[in-house]
Amino acid sequence: MNGRLLVQTWRWQRVRLLVIGVAALGWGTLFPIFYSAFSDALRSLANSGTIPEQLFNFGSGSLFTLPGALTLGLEHPLTLAMLGIFAVGATTGAIAGERQRGTLEVLLARPISRRTIYVTVAIALLVVIAVVLAAILAGMAIGAATQGLLDQIDFGQLPLVFANGLLLWAAFAAFGLAASVTFDRVGPALGLTMAYVLVNYFLEILGSLLTDLAWSQKYSLFHHFQPGQILTGKTDWFDFVILGIAVVVPVVYALVVFPRRDLAAPS
Amino acid sequence: MEAAVESVIATQGLTKHYGKVEALTDLTLDVQRGEVFGFLGPNGAGKSTMIRTLLGFLHPTGGAASVLGLDAVKDSVEIRRRTGYLPGGIALYDSLSGGDVLDYLADLQGQEPHRRGELCDRLQMTGSVLKRKVRDYSRGMRQKIGVIQALQHDPELAVLDEPTEGLDPLMQHAFYGILEDLGREGRTIFFSSHVLSEVERVCDRVAIIRAGRLMALHDVGQLLARRRRRVTLRWTGAAPDLTSIPGLEDVVVTGDRMIGTLSGHVAAFVRAIASPNLEDLLIEPARLEEAFLEYYAGDGEPIESGESAVAGTPA
Repeated sequence: MNGRLLVQTWRWQRVRLLVIGVAALGWGTLFPIFYSAFSDALRSLANSGTIPEQLFNFGSGSLFTLPGALTLGLEHPLTLAMLGIFAVGATTGAIAGERQRGTLEVLLARPISRRTIYVTVAIALLVVIAVVLAAILAGMAIGAATQGLLDQIDFGQLPLVFANGLLLWAAFAAFGLAASVTFDRVGPALGLTMAYVLVNYFLEILGSLLTDLAWSQKYSLFHHFQPGQILTGKTDWFDFVILGIAVVVPVVYALVVFPRRDLAAPS
Repeated sequence: MEAAVESVIATQGLTKHYGKVEALTDLTLDVQRGEVFGFLGPNGAGKSTMIRTLLGFLHPTGGAASVLGLDAVKDSVEIRRRTGYLPGGIALYDSLSGGDVLDYLADLQGQEPHRRGELCDRLQMTGSVLKRKVRDYSRGMRQKIGVIQALQHDPELAVLDEPTEGLDPLMQHAFYGILEDLGREGRTIFFSSHVLSEVERVCDRVAIIRAGRLMALHDVGQLLARRRRRVTLRWTGAAPDLTSIPGLEDVVVTGDRMIGTLSGHVAAFVRAIASPNLEDLLIEPARLEEAFLEYYAGDGEPIESGESAVAGTPA
């Protein structure tokens, strides 16, 4: 790892991280508040049969329990957007963006191996993702505390939720970086990675909304992110293994492919 | 491959193909320590491919290359530690100031930028200019930052890809001065260009590359000496006998004026034309451009790779 490159990668992200971090904190506080304010009303609505219950069980979440509400918050499209800015946007631009701008050549002219560059950028962006995820979870804890809901979940499990979530987003970030070392332009890397995230997301959401398609969820990485289960003490370590594999495969790919790539003059 | 102690760059049959495209073919050359070596060729000839292969950006299809006695593929990190590189058409970090770019790249290089102050002075990059964002720089200013970042840590070997592109004549002059000083200090400079006059001015030896093949490898002095010169004579009265002058060709006589090309020794020519009727004589200096065009105009065969190329034997 190269310390100077690590610091500079954080510097490139600092303004974005500050804005998104504050937004994530605020966003996290909303879900316990929503749960506290609306869960009874929504349950009545569901019980009346006016709205199908599946619509309240978006993804692996649910508005009828606090752990479910927090899961909902962590799988919400806005959460995806906040984390995706770094796990998809920053990762795909990290190498392919430098290549497209022509600055990768200046960077590679230094005595730093490509693997070192990859590992440094990967660690820097993983830390950034971890900060955003931690901000969301911190917001959720603050929100639960302000609503007097701390007794409804085991907050001692939050580090496991964090680890589970970080593995999920590390998997997407690793895919994004693998795409970034593969392409000379950001566009294809970004498109491929977004498609990867969206396919996983739709498999999860579709399975939760349509009973006939419930099988699709097990093929989604999002389905292996189960904060609700963890917060109720039902951690499935298989989820961690699956997500771990989803991280390792693209990392190994990138570590093999990037040093072997020919980097011709930027066109 | 065996790299001689004094060889800073040595390639042996270096080949780089992209599928069916032959970017470099069987290129053998040798750059000695302390040399200012010109690598000359038109756009697309393979100059940048050669440089990128030497620095480990590209992997050779065949042959071998060593830089500073190190293998260009296996030891590229160490090579880059001891080398300064100016990429052709350099791109910089637009959101940083010029000074921050230099600091960042010096930090990554891991060496003190001993020469930065001197280089900034000579290239007129003042403190206030270095505080401005790179995005506000002109093409020439970016190029100057490129030159400074390549040389600020005082590398043993400088690899410069078309370094004067974008520099105004005044700054080109300053840059040539920097190269001359580096050469005097024993630094090795590998310098690609398609600007013939600058290669002629600053280089000790020149390799001419065409379509990825080495066409010639010469001392610049030798190359110029074997070039034909353009001569113009003017006389009064009876025309001199031009038929018996050795080495004079392509003679065109118009009234009292003759234009021709001269190969061989100038002294013999001057002795032969000496006459009281001679009113004016103009011998234009041989230009590298003429040598260059000669290599590119015809179906020039590449020189043999190996000893002849290393020794600089003419094609």
